[in-house]
Amino acid sequence: MNFYAPFCLPFIVGAAVMFAVVAGKWSVWLWRLPRADKLRIARGLPSAATLRATGEVIGESLLHRRIFRIDPLLGYMHMSLAFGWFLLIAVGWAETIAHLGLRFVPLQGHVFFKYFATGLPHKPFFDLVMDLLLLFVLSGVALAWGKRFCSKALGMRRTTRHVVGDRIALSALWFIFPARLVAESTTCALYGGGGFLTGTLGTWMHDHISVMALMNLETAAWWIYSSALGLFFVAMPFSRYMHIFTEVPLIFLRHYRLQSGEKESSYDRFQVEACSRCGICIDPCQLQSVLGVDDVQSVYFLRDRRYGMLRREVADNCLMCGRCVEKCPVNIDLNTLRLNSRDAMHNVPDERRYDYFRGLDRSQGAGKVGYFAGCMTLLTPRTLTAMERIFTAAGDEVWWADREGGVCCGRPLKLAGETDSARRMMRYNTELFRKHGITTLVTSCPICLKVFREDYDLDGIEVLHHSEYILRLLETRRLTPDRRTTRYTYHDPCELGRGSGIYEAPRTVIEAVGELLEPAATRENAPCCGSSVANTAISDTQQLQIARTVTAELEDTGAEVVVTACPLCKKALGRGTTRPVADLAEIVAESLN
Amino acid sequence: MATIDFGYTISKPRAIDLDRNNLRKSDEILREMPELQACIGCGSCTAVCTAGSLTTFNFRKVHTLVRRGEYQGAYEEMNKCMLCGKCRLVCPRGINTRGVALLIKRKLGDF
Repeated sequence: MNFYAPFCLPFIVGAAVMFAVVAGKWSVWLWRLPRADKLRIARGLPSAATLRATGEVIGESLLHRRIFRIDPLLGYMHMSLAFGWFLLIAVGWAETIAHLGLRFVPLQGHVFFKYFATGLPHKPFFDLVMDLLLLFVLSGVALAWGKRFCSKALGMRRTTRHVVGDRIALSALWFIFPARLVAESTTCALYGGGGFLTGTLGTWMHDHISVMALMNLETAAWWIYSSALGLFFVAMPFSRYMHIFTEVPLIFLRHYRLQSGEKESSYDRFQVEACSRCGICIDPCQLQSVLGVDDVQSVYFLRDRRYGMLRREVADNCLMCGRCVEKCPVNIDLNTLRLNSRDAMHNVPDERRYDYFRGLDRSQGAGKVGYFAGCMTLLTPRTLTAMERIFTAAGDEVWWADREGGVCCGRPLKLAGETDSARRMMRYNTELFRKHGITTLVTSCPICLKVFREDYDLDGIEVLHHSEYILRLLETRRLTPDRRTTRYTYHDPCELGRGSGIYEAPRTVIEAVGELLEPAATRENAPCCGSSVANTAISDTQQLQIARTVTAELEDTGAEVVVTACPLCKKALGRGTTRPVADLAEIVAESLN
Repeated sequence: MATIDFGYTISKPRAIDLDRNNLRKSDEILREMPELQACIGCGSCTAVCTAGSLTTFNFRKVHTLVRRGEYQGAYEEMNKCMLCGKCRLVCPRGINTRGVALLIKRKLGDF
């Protein structure tokens, strides 16, 4: 059996280009990985991590489970295209084997099997299954078309604005399956066979179109189908569709514990190119929904970074609130990537910087418990005095790290991309904590908390946010506040909630002193107060605009007092509402007798 | 005759001659961050400054001098800033002071 026809050429060329480019890209990225990462891969390959990764590949790359959680119809659209196409290929191979037994068939023989198999006996089972699968994929294509006109029906308020290359690839993809339907149907019209879809359409064509016209149409249809495939394959490695293949190694590498860090690395390429530009990150972005800034979201950031056209304005304009990270169906480490882009743009290794830290120590008191107020808490002295009352009531001896001024934790500077200078601050503070021999470090600032936990090397020192510390005091009955009837609502600070995974502790503490009313968007979905130190681009007015939308939701709960657990959020929310805004420590200290 | 040292000196003249200073960088900074012109020089930024409480760093002074074209030592001085952002929270004119600090460092890095 001859498996070649001239129309196969676009497909063959396209597939060859695609496989060559994808293999080339992957080899370079893997080759450039640091040695430690290569060792991780070598150790991970024969372990259970490979099995878990395989499971995730099926669940995510094929079934797109995470998108189902965002919107079932949107999930179905992605699944029908990915899983449906995969099954078309897999069942297509099975069909070839069923017809011809185990023998070598070139790639185009599998893909265009209907065209070459006209002389073979019909297998109604495969005709039926292949038509079902084609219908499955076509339903996805129809939804994708529909999404262009009414994205809201698929749970997306906004969709991505695509670049030209993506539009070409997208159009090619949309043409592939309708072209396949027409091509297979015309072949069925001429030679019979086919299932409920291609067969029925074929019979209809046979009855209404002359044989001569059908023969011309057949050639044309197969040419169009093959060309659409070829065009898509050539465009694929350079467009958003690179994610189809890149998400697979990314999932494996992630299971082998590769991570993006504060400096750009080769692993980042896998993350950057695994972005499908689905645009799910756009809706959660408050810069978009409140301020109408629509070119800085993660999808655009990753696109610009991938094509080497990242501008500082885009990299810097992000609250790093992490709302998009929660929603990203590929689980791309969006904030870390943005941070290491900022590092590449702003980091200045300056050895003499912060020489004034030498010999500096303004700490007070002595005790195993250290309290690091952080810059922002020093601006909210009520939190500080409340913490003092709580420490006294609990009878803890406290070492005050920075009540009379101290060195910043380093996170604001790290967030601005000046990573090396931030390290100097981290080293200074670590030495300070070690010098005073504390075993517990309490901080009332989630920004400090996150950097202490993630970037400091504080082995032997337990780092606690004050919400966790207070909760512990309540549980051990060392603190016995009165429960009153005040109705509180709670705003989740980004760095505490999504950033450090602390949602329960502050809520339990609030419920110990009063009634807690949850706002509409809460926990993982909680909005950012707008004053995030990660953003150096938006103006004061814009920050206030964001804060007002947040406080409006908090006021809607009918609570008398807005409670938060971050001094920065407290400042920001206080500007947007007339209701009192209190730190968690304040309401606990007030309830002490 | 040797000069007797009474422990006093005459201060150098502190007038800034805007005609002599090169205002190119200053103009660039103000073009990118026009809100800096809204500064009333109240000094709140300096009063709360984390670095200012540890050193003689004075944010108001640095950005005021830079705006007048006095760039000498401004970059080194600005590098004392820890970018903690307290100044931004207290600024009565709502100036994006952290942005200003980064901008001054970026523009004057080669001075």
